Amino acid sequence: MSTDTVETCGGESCTPSYLLQETMPYPFCPGCGHIKIAGFIDQGLQALGLPPERVVVVTDIGCVGLTDKHFGTNAFHGLHGRSITYASGIKLADPDLKVVVIMGDGGTGIGGGHLLAAARRNIGLTVIVANNFNYGMTGGQHSATTPTGAITSTTFKGNLEMPLDLMGTLLPTKPGFLARTSVFADDAVQLVTQAIASDGFSLIDIWDLCVAYYAGQNPISRDSIGQMMEDLQMPAGIHHQGTRPEFARAWRELYHPDEVADEEGMCLLPPEKGLAPVATADLKKRVGILIAGSAGQKIRSIATLLGAGAILSGLHATQKDDYPITVRTGHSAAEVIVSPEPIVYTGIEVPDVVLILSVDGLIHVKKQLHTYPPETRVYIDSALGEIDTPARVVRLPLAEAAKTVHRLAIGAVGLGAILTAEGFYPREAFETAARRLQKAKVADTNIAGFAAGVGLGGR
Amino acid sequence: MIEFLEGNDAVVRASVDAGCRFFAGYPITPATSILTGMMRALPDVGGVAVQAEDEIASIGMCIGAAMTGMKAMTATSGPGLSLYSENIGLAIMGETPLVIVDVQREGPATGSATKGADGDIQFLRWGTSGGLPVIVLAPENVLECYTLTIQAFNLAERFRSPVFLATQKEVGLTRERLDIDEARALAPAVLARPVAAPDAAYVPHAFSVPDEVTPMSPIGGPHLVRYTTSMHDERALLTKDTGTISRMLDHFTRKITDHADEIALYEHDPADGADTLVVAYGVTGRAAREAVARARATGRKVSLLVLKTLFPVPEAAITAAMAGVRRVVVPETNLGQYVVEVRRLAGDREVVAVNKMNTDLLSPGEIVREGGLL
Repeated sequence: MSTDTVETCGGESCTPSYLLQETMPYPFCPGCGHIKIAGFIDQGLQALGLPPERVVVVTDIGCVGLTDKHFGTNAFHGLHGRSITYASGIKLADPDLKVVVIMGDGGTGIGGGHLLAAARRNIGLTVIVANNFNYGMTGGQHSATTPTGAITSTTFKGNLEMPLDLMGTLLPTKPGFLARTSVFADDAVQLVTQAIASDGFSLIDIWDLCVAYYAGQNPISRDSIGQMMEDLQMPAGIHHQGTRPEFARAWRELYHPDEVADEEGMCLLPPEKGLAPVATADLKKRVGILIAGSAGQKIRSIATLLGAGAILSGLHATQKDDYPITVRTGHSAAEVIVSPEPIVYTGIEVPDVVLILSVDGLIHVKKQLHTYPPETRVYIDSALGEIDTPARVVRLPLAEAAKTVHRLAIGAVGLGAILTAEGFYPREAFETAARRLQKAKVADTNIAGFAAGVGLGGR
Repeated sequence: MIEFLEGNDAVVRASVDAGCRFFAGYPITPATSILTGMMRALPDVGGVAVQAEDEIASIGMCIGAAMTGMKAMTATSGPGLSLYSENIGLAIMGETPLVIVDVQREGPATGSATKGADGDIQFLRWGTSGGLPVIVLAPENVLECYTLTIQAFNLAERFRSPVFLATQKEVGLTRERLDIDEARALAPAVLARPVAAPDAAYVPHAFSVPDEVTPMSPIGGPHLVRYTTSMHDERALLTKDTGTISRMLDHFTRKITDHADEIALYEHDPADGADTLVVAYGVTGRAAREAVARARATGRKVSLLVLKTLFPVPEAAITAAMAGVRRVVVPETNLGQYVVEVRRLAGDREVVAVNKMNTDLLSPGEIVREGGLL
């Protein structure tokens, strides 16, 4: 890389500058603080002597977003406010990279959620905020950090908003390093170097002059910037140094197994859950079964067992569920198709069998009841009363039978009754499905419920 | 191994098998089980899966990770896809391989969170500014959630492009019998990421002919890598030169459109002397198969074309399938989106759109009736 870079010092031990001569000059206004900030970062990288191919400079949008092309490192220039997201992906993928984000105050506004999330994670990024209190590239509009009362092109009678205090906002997240300085401060290089050296999330808020817009309309200068910090109660200096573990490495330590079996490998499968046939069925044609009950009645699990039992009998099966967005309230319904042939259409135009387990379930199917033909068999908990339908209705004390096992076994009771009456596939396939797919205690309950249902099915 | 799996589970299995080692996502019905599935599956193979703060961060993280050399995927539904929009453009601009799963729900806006539709089809194609082409695949069933996910990763690497898998609740959350060994045998061979030679100079967007796709070099690897969201030249340096801009746009476009036939996946089931062709995709393809079978049982001569690749539009396949028919029926679980593509290829044939987006599946009976297949 040395051929591409500018030598900034003569000593043999000196790391060459990371700035590229070939892309100079900077595209910034004369007197713009961004030039100094690029220099601070260069000097920080030099002080740490990082190999350029292991450094990534990620820039946001705005004038300062043009900085990356001047660095002889990896360079990633992304969308407005999103630089932290790309940087986070890079760091998560390769935690040993040094990732430096350069953004303006605009980026802290539009990307504020990302900033907070990155600091909360303590992901190892160094965020350099070139904070010049306005959007310079688009003509000097106010930003998240524009002081109250300041004049910009969108606050031409004065800014009514409170400015974002980056230190105060991020302090509670206790990240690796937080500091504030200005482009005129003597400690700027030292603080930038400390920020880059930090292992966890680090951010340095560098107050900066936009000579084109903000500085022309508001009282800000090299001499007054310190007073401005005082007036706004946003002091310079190191605000926090923390030791929380860096997120990208901590994630790997927590979630990766002690030894990753095979990084190139295929998805590990749970062989104990395999459903190779254990029984045979003499089902001749496709059957559509609608199970309608209440959320919390384990309707979806029982429907999965119904389908899995069919597969264990050498049949095909599909299951699709219907439920509102709420979790433990309202109806829960499942449509299961079992068939000796591959299943093409997954909908049920006319159900062959309907199992109604609760008032919610009954309400869910009520509009369709009159459309069911006489061939359809409706199995309904007898406590739910009479229903009006041309279908053949089989009223069974499902809830009562379930009580002898467990309240939540009502679905299994229903399936026991249906499979006994309809004979789609052998009982052992259902029991195997429960054993393979469910925890032992849940499987016990469902198998017992199924047995109770078998007793009802003969009635 | 035979299992009773949901489409979302099959997407998880396939992505791991395809070499995906990075996933970032945000919870959203009906795509959440891909997020939770990836978080369970990726650590075992040394990968990383995280829940991001929002969908913008999800896709942003994936793009960053993909540029370090990892195959990456994210998954969402309509509202999240809306938030992906600007970064879809970034992936196009930076030529980033990325698989994006859209488990569609009925929309617009929050729509019906737990209900399916194919309402995002043209949004997937035109979902970012600039209008450059992307690749969209649509699985019909759980098996294709596996095989087309593998294919999506292959296409993403082959063309350095975002590739969408357009599923929906009725595919992603429908459980079916899946023999994973059979699925693995049916899926295409996994394409490893083509990588630039470490000892040669690296130009991130080099091409000698417009449709050429240059191998990538990972950030953090042997070369210094540049990447930019702004209009750039082959070196990823900003450009205002109109000639360069034209050349780059031609490259981004033609690397995909010149290879439409290579990307095209479909099943054509022609009937001798057919007067009608049914064109369908996704879960509606399954209803269309049943509808065509019923029509044929009554003696009607009906051909069927089920598309797996939606974009780039498999124009040659659609045009060939339309030869000899005078009517084309396009059933869709939306208000009529892909029918626009069929209509522009249909010449003076009658094109009948059969549409439904009330959260029920479009049924074979409705396709037969409204498509005039009786």
